[in-house]
Amino acid sequence: MKATLVACCLVLLIAGSAQTANADLARDPKYSRAAPEKGKFVLHTSLEIATDAKAYEARLQISQSDLKSFQAALKGDVGNSPVVGGIAFSAPRTIVAGLLMFMAVSVAGVLIARSSSFGRAQKTIGAVLLVAVLLGAAAIITRGNAGPPGSWRWRNLPQALAEGKPTLGSVDIEIVPDDQMNGRNMRLIIPLKKQNAPGEE
Amino acid sequence: MQNAVRLKTWPTMRVATDVKVSVAMVGLCVVAAVAFASWLPLQVSIITLFLFAGPHNWFELRYFLMRLPVRFGRSRNFFLTAFAGLGVLTLTYVSLPFIYNAALWSEGAWSVVIASWNTALLFWLALLVWLRSRQKPRSNWTWIIPVGLALCSLNWLGPDLFSLAIVYVHPLIALWFLDRHLRRTRPAWSRAYRRCLWLLPVVLTAMIWQLSRTSPLADDNGLFWRITQHSGAEVLPQVSSHMLVSVHLFLEMLHYGVWIVALPLIGSVAARRLWEVKTVPIARHPRGFPRTVSALLVCAVAAVVVLWFGFSIDYATTRDIYFTVAIAHVLAEAPFLLRML
Repeated sequence: MKATLVACCLVLLIAGSAQTANADLARDPKYSRAAPEKGKFVLHTSLEIATDAKAYEARLQISQSDLKSFQAALKGDVGNSPVVGGIAFSAPRTIVAGLLMFMAVSVAGVLIARSSSFGRAQKTIGAVLLVAVLLGAAAIITRGNAGPPGSWRWRNLPQALAEGKPTLGSVDIEIVPDDQMNGRNMRLIIPLKKQNAPGEE
Repeated sequence: MQNAVRLKTWPTMRVATDVKVSVAMVGLCVVAAVAFASWLPLQVSIITLFLFAGPHNWFELRYFLMRLPVRFGRSRNFFLTAFAGLGVLTLTYVSLPFIYNAALWSEGAWSVVIASWNTALLFWLALLVWLRSRQKPRSNWTWIIPVGLALCSLNWLGPDLFSLAIVYVHPLIALWFLDRHLRRTRPAWSRAYRRCLWLLPVVLTAMIWQLSRTSPLADDNGLFWRITQHSGAEVLPQVSSHMLVSVHLFLEMLHYGVWIVALPLIGSVAARRLWEVKTVPIARHPRGFPRTVSALLVCAVAAVVVLWFGFSIDYATTRDIYFTVAIAHVLAEAPFLLRML
């Protein structure tokens, strides 16, 4: 029963963090400090480019949650992940949390050292390590750059557009000053590398 | 004290068949709960809460009375701590909305208040575990100290997230009660039940995977907004509120199902006569309190009727009041679960 309870809690915990965590650690600096000459990255999300033969005009659809995230990011909220934002970096609370965690680890260490049934203690340590590895792996997958680069998903875009198929990939939302847009309101930049024709070097 | 626990091993006639039928029924109920919770989360949430919130509290009260000893004896300190903590924590929790409306603190200070309440809750739980462990010299429950400290630490890092975790973990506690009860009363069913339980993480994973990309629910009226907020839409704004409400509703349905259907059904035939006060050990005992028990159960029935009336008149306000006061039943589960461990 305890195992099931722990499993359910882990599913909820990992799912919660995986759903909300930002999936590219390498991009963090540009989110934290705005580069005035290049604009400010406020959100990393996904974008689908699809064709519609019946449409009269091009449409840009934005989910409500993403719109809320834009607003939150523009207001200058911490980071762009609600979980990270929820774990607010208030100095007094962080100090209390750190002290308590220090005490927890210390007491756990003393208890393990004093434990007469070391086999059981080994199991406990193993379980704790397993949970730590699981959480770490989830963090690497979600927070780290564990997947292929973003451009990989866009590589077949021209072909997909020609065939009328949708293409889904990641996208950074960048707020650019008006004077740098040269009269344009919005621009979509796709990371496509020029593909050489067969026989061309 | 022994009279408080009337547990018999079930005579095993047709056990295997009954287990299979029960497992199939539980499976059907779970599938139905997932379907309804995913399809129309807001509407089903409103109906579910209206129908089952009050009655499930009545069943819980009766269950706790069934397990209360006539004399505390060696458990005196345990029960005194349990009831004192229950009273203080409930009162402080109920007073929090009034303090918040008075706007006495900044947002940062308010999070400290929430973290402090959560810390008091964890301290109370750890104290109860320690008191219970003193009655069980063979078992070693010292691990509760580092675990409690680690939970306190996480709570101080994110008090809102910790409070939200309580909302999601609480429904699962009912499954733990059912597990302990089955082990004592119908051990033949225990293994099948535990196997069924392993489906829960799978179902939850599937729900989260399926609903994570759904568009957020329209929370354009006060009631829908309250439901999404209660499920954590504000704490986790980038998570689909559809997924949050559905998962929470599914867990709540399991919770209500266990308290209203499963636990009364697996009780003894005498205990199933819910209307008979004499089936409660502390009312039946010569030195018991039949009038107090009767009064409590009648008052609880009246509270259920008042709750239904309130939901009919002003659903949103009644919902707010219910979930504030209902912290008492969340807290009350802890000592009685510990008594079963």
